[in-house]
Amino acid sequence: MSTVKEQLIENLIKKDKTSQRKITIVGVGAVGMACAICILMKDLTDELALIDVAEDRLKGEMMDLQHGSLFFHTPKIVSGKDYSVSANSKIIIITAGVRQKVGETRLALVQRNVDIMKSVIPALARHSPDCKMLIVSNPVDILTYVVWKLSGLPVTSVIGSGCNLDSARFRYLIGDKLGVHPTSCHGWIIGEHGDSSVPLWSGVNVAGVVLKSLDPQLGTDSEQDNWKNIHQQVVQGAFME
Amino acid sequence: MSTVKEQLIENLIKKDKTSQRKITIVGVGAVGMACAICILMKDLTDELALIDVAEDRLKGEMMDLQHGSLFFHTPKIVSGKDYSVSANSKIIIITAGVRQKVGETRLALVQRNVDIMKSVIPALARHSPDCKMLIVSNPVPLWSGVNVAGVVLKSLDPQLGTDSEQDNWKNIHQQVVQGGYEVLRLKGYTSWAIGLSVTDLVGSMVKNLSRVHSVSTMAKGFYGIKEEIFLSIPCILGQNGISDIVKLNLSSEEEALFKKSADTLWNIQKDLVF
Repeated sequence: MSTVKEQLIENLIKKDKTSQRKITIVGVGAVGMACAICILMKDLTDELALIDVAEDRLKGEMMDLQHGSLFFHTPKIVSGKDYSVSANSKIIIITAGVRQKVGETRLALVQRNVDIMKSVIPALARHSPDCKMLIVSNPVDILTYVVWKLSGLPVTSVIGSGCNLDSARFRYLIGDKLGVHPTSCHGWIIGEHGDSSVPLWSGVNVAGVVLKSLDPQLGTDSEQDNWKNIHQQVVQGAFME
Repeated sequence: MSTVKEQLIENLIKKDKTSQRKITIVGVGAVGMACAICILMKDLTDELALIDVAEDRLKGEMMDLQHGSLFFHTPKIVSGKDYSVSANSKIIIITAGVRQKVGETRLALVQRNVDIMKSVIPALARHSPDCKMLIVSNPVPLWSGVNVAGVVLKSLDPQLGTDSEQDNWKNIHQQVVQGGYEVLRLKGYTSWAIGLSVTDLVGSMVKNLSRVHSVSTMAKGFYGIKEEIFLSIPCILGQNGISDIVKLNLSSEEEALFKKSADTLWNIQKDLVF
């Protein structure tokens, strides 16, 4: 008795099911799921894998994304507690880790998150020996170092999300002050993703016009126009992570 | 003493700050925020307004989106407890309401949410008299229309979707009805699928596409419905809201199930106080 599918569809060849640009996200908390929805909305992957220890939550998040499949172009979404679900990933995004408690510095939560990485990273590297790992968990700079050591991957394949967000916040705030879109405001923050991050005031410019050439006190305590506060807002904003 | 801005930028004209396709989202819970991120990622609006009663949460959500401004193309994101923040919206998305408890049917939480609507809707309508409101809340599957590339599946298996079918398609509808409940049980709520779905509707309206969507509208006069019930039927959606309704050829079983769905709703609606 042939099924509806057999009556409907004539198969021609055996399909190669290997994904070409698989992405795995480890940790399905708010950060991991924000990454997931944005990656799906930007058509960046043909297979999305989610990993977490909380099995019910994990399955619920996977199903909630799958139920939206009509609206995006990522045909395969999988999940599991077992790291084998990440096999063959081009990119693995690590968001797993305990959250900063209010008042706790990023550095203070290091040891807790190092122990999590020890249990997670070696298995991921084994299943995707050619992947690039993108570390988001905090304190990101130290954890990126730890992940590099634990993974055995080349140093160029382990990337900490770092001050990419700080720089984005910086550009948003500069843009808001000038009435210009952030993409037209250029400014970089380097160093620790945290309290000691360094705003490069000497490079902040719009259309190549360096703001510090207009006000040499820019970003210092003696400035008139309160630009230094922008960097403070960036550092403070990060405390919400 | 001229500011850096004055030295950098020569202003030519006073900018008209009126937004052309403003969208307001009422309720910044998981559903509201899923709608927000999807709408931002699809470039559907030039101004996004968020409204909620929880002021700290509201401000936090607004700031979290604003901090991502480098990565999208919506230049203005505002928020507030006061409904005036919604003024001049083209579309208002209502996600506010209490959450379903596990085991609670969608219908059971109605009266709780009706009272919330009474406090919210009139002010919104006053501030945006020309808006379209999209109500997000918590169906009879039309098997005769299910097709792949125009081949109607029910013509291949006339038992499709009934209890006597061989191939377990009816289970798909059960999964659709149960799916929301299962996600609710597993993660505590649903957000992504509904956010994507709402954004799909917003897309049809903002871009005036006249696409057909199964959305809830006044069904009185169709399919034997005599009361002022809102039910989902295929509607043509564009910048004027619901401009047309598609007239389905329901089989007698489908029409009976649809009427049953309408009766279920009417039994709740007739007792509502507001």
